[in-house]
Amino acid sequence: MTDLALDVVQQLLNGFLFGSSYALIGIGFTMIFGVMDKFNLAFGVTALAGAYTALLVLHLTQGPLALLFPVAVAAAGLVGLVVELVCFRWMPRDYPLAPLMATVGMLFFIDEVIVHGTHGRPMAFPAPMGEVMMDVGPWLLRGDLGFMFLVSLGVMGILWTLVYKTRLGLATRSVSQQPVAAQLCGISLVRVNAAVFVITGMIGGVAGVLIGSAVGALSPLLSLPLTVKGLVTAVLGGLGSIPGAIVGGLLLGIVEYEALYFFGIGYRDMVTYLLLFVFLVFRPGGLFGQTRH
Amino acid sequence: MSLLTLFGFRILLGLSAYVVILTGQISMAQAGFYALGAYTAATATAIWGWPIVPAILLGGLVGGLFGFLVGFPALRVRGLFLVIATLAFTEIVRMVFLNLKYTIRVGDRTIGPAAAEGFRGITYYYENGWSALQIMAFTWLFVLAVLAGFWLMDRSRAGAVLRAVGEDELAAASVGINLTAAKVAAMAAGGLVAGLAGALYAHYATYLSQEEFGALLATFAIAYPLVGGTGSVAGPIAGVLFFSLLIDGLRFLGDWRNLLFGVLIIAMMNLRPHGIIDVGLVRRLRALLHLRRERAYAGD
Repeated sequence: MTDLALDVVQQLLNGFLFGSSYALIGIGFTMIFGVMDKFNLAFGVTALAGAYTALLVLHLTQGPLALLFPVAVAAAGLVGLVVELVCFRWMPRDYPLAPLMATVGMLFFIDEVIVHGTHGRPMAFPAPMGEVMMDVGPWLLRGDLGFMFLVSLGVMGILWTLVYKTRLGLATRSVSQQPVAAQLCGISLVRVNAAVFVITGMIGGVAGVLIGSAVGALSPLLSLPLTVKGLVTAVLGGLGSIPGAIVGGLLLGIVEYEALYFFGIGYRDMVTYLLLFVFLVFRPGGLFGQTRH
Repeated sequence: MSLLTLFGFRILLGLSAYVVILTGQISMAQAGFYALGAYTAATATAIWGWPIVPAILLGGLVGGLFGFLVGFPALRVRGLFLVIATLAFTEIVRMVFLNLKYTIRVGDRTIGPAAAEGFRGITYYYENGWSALQIMAFTWLFVLAVLAGFWLMDRSRAGAVLRAVGEDELAAASVGINLTAAKVAAMAAGGLVAGLAGALYAHYATYLSQEEFGALLATFAIAYPLVGGTGSVAGPIAGVLFFSLLIDGLRFLGDWRNLLFGVLIIAMMNLRPHGIIDVGLVRRLRALLHLRRERAYAGD
């Protein structure tokens, strides 16, 4: 095999593995859109808030690294609930722009809390698997990316059980298909919405920790790219579709890593956005989208 | 003085998003048009040596042209999908300027867009000895012209057409409104105004860096009309005043100001979800005005 082919496959592998974190962020955007038909632009920063809280608790308690995940999950779930309360619950149902703007306010607020707390400096984030490298044939498997992929897979498995095997999941799916009919069947919209915000927040917390340890640092500057990447993922897969978000995230990861290899850092994001624009124009429903939007 | 000039750019940017919002579309492309206007006009004066007025108009035209071009594919995408598509456009424009290199050497200075280093040496105002007052007046000349244009449009058939499309596309189409024409026209007008704003800003700032023209600027562009309300052209102005007064008025709070900023946006959207000056308020004010006029007639 030529060197070029080797490199292309290597980037494919890295992109695929890193894409799993985009998938988690994308799931957050897509699930909230699924039940409410609205965007939560504060979701990326919710994930970041979870990771920061975990880092804070870790510094305060000097506890084991394993503490990162439960703390981040709990904190981000709580932030998710707060976002639902202040940005969605009291807003008019049929006017999506008001909560959109409110979540932008939330994005600024949480970002500023982080800047305030850390004096705007990036904070080193522990990378438990950062040193591990594995040889897979001629290719190199980065331990942290492999770890990220496995954890993401676990989260997706739990989510699948939750959505398809529990009563809450049934309620969530019915609300996302037909809110009025769901309400007529005695499902409380408010409770389902709150539950979805908490669950997606928790997923965001996991994603935040994974991204923090893969990047090796946390910075408030991450919030905007996370938001944009999450939206791109959700749109690529088709808004409202969880499998779509997973495929979209992996695809985005691969495209980014290949574009990085072929065109360099200056053009990487341009390729991503061009792909997105083309996708939106020629296939507005995304890969797994329904036609209702 | 320079604060008033800054208000001018923000109001133009808010108005450019406002005209698109009237048709029920949310465009994050305004920051891209703004950047295109800024780089074009700056290139015209700094590299080609054009006088200021044609350069600014060229910036506006380029913005308008791209608005027209983006308007067509955007027809296929609606609602929140358009937000993403136009955000992608803004980011693509930003990436182009991140990589664009087109410089000349004048003496010992490098002028023009130098990729990641930004666009240096937009010194038209400085070279021609304009005072801050003159710059402010020149900027507001454009602001007032656009304001007047939009105000007249709002009261004319064109405004009614745009609002009809925004309220209900199906109903608008069924009474014979050409949806394509209305949406593309709104997008082109928005692009033109954003291009003008960017062109004016470039000469005020004297230095451009692609970082300024990202998602944050696009968010502010739509935040002005959304927070201020889309009931009339006063809406975006109210939005600009709301944000600008918060940014500059809360300075005494020091670091805490930025924290309060987000909280206030959330509070505003909860209290007045349709913006400060929404359609309802405009209608009530009109009714009030009308009532008074009628009373005056009755008194005769």
